[in-house]
Amino acid sequence: MATQAPTPADSSRRSAFEKEALVHLDALYRVGLRLTGNAADADDLVQETMLKAYRSWDQYQPGTNAKGWLLTILRNSFINEYRRRTRHPETVDVDTIEPFAVFQDIQEEDPQGAFFDKIVDDEVLRAIDGLPEAFRETVVLSDVEGMSYQEIGKILGIPVGTVKSRLFRARQMLQGKLYDYAVGNGYIKGRKP
Amino acid sequence: MKCRECIEHLYEYLDRELTPAVEAEIRDHLSHCPPCGTKFDFEGAFKKFVQARTRAQGCPPELKQRILRELFDE
Repeated sequence: MATQAPTPADSSRRSAFEKEALVHLDALYRVGLRLTGNAADADDLVQETMLKAYRSWDQYQPGTNAKGWLLTILRNSFINEYRRRTRHPETVDVDTIEPFAVFQDIQEEDPQGAFFDKIVDDEVLRAIDGLPEAFRETVVLSDVEGMSYQEIGKILGIPVGTVKSRLFRARQMLQGKLYDYAVGNGYIKGRKP
Repeated sequence: MKCRECIEHLYEYLDRELTPAVEAEIRDHLSHCPPCGTKFDFEGAFKKFVQARTRAQGCPPELKQRILRELFDE
């Protein structure tokens, strides 16, 4: 592609991109992996995201939220190109899922949640992957990537109130899954029959 | 602040989404309400736990190299 020597404009564009965008590769990869559910698609999705971002780098305002900007590109690419073939469309009506209050069940046995320490990384990632997409992406952006409600709302194109309610349900569901896992493995007794 | 209102703000508090004034009201309530305090501690521990278990993963070095090549023709 580039057969000519890079101009000063090229190299300043490149160094700005390296400084502001490439530093977020780890975050993009983590989110990509949770969205697609497999490493091969996550690789392609992240690579495509970076190419698109570099091509439209002029639209990015230096010093603003590069991570949010990149994650928006990543998520749009996922929806347009990957979602259909990597996951089944959502069949759950996300608003009718009853939250499961783990704390109420466990507050006498393990009020500090010490049983969490026994649960390994893979199991937590598996539990996240088992959440319906709307919840999964919200909880990943918040708990894994530390984005604010406003940033998440912008990336997902939903109001802050919806971010809040999804996050609430996502965390309750995630706790429920990990609680069941911990009970199943005898880490805690739990109160379920 | 009453327990109910305090619990309603639980996640916003843990996510640092509240104004300093509301945060202070909650801190005040938590300091003299052990049941709310325990619940907040539990949820806070869960949030930290999820973060700790999910952030180890990063972009594989081969992928980073591939992207750099594509972008800058290296």
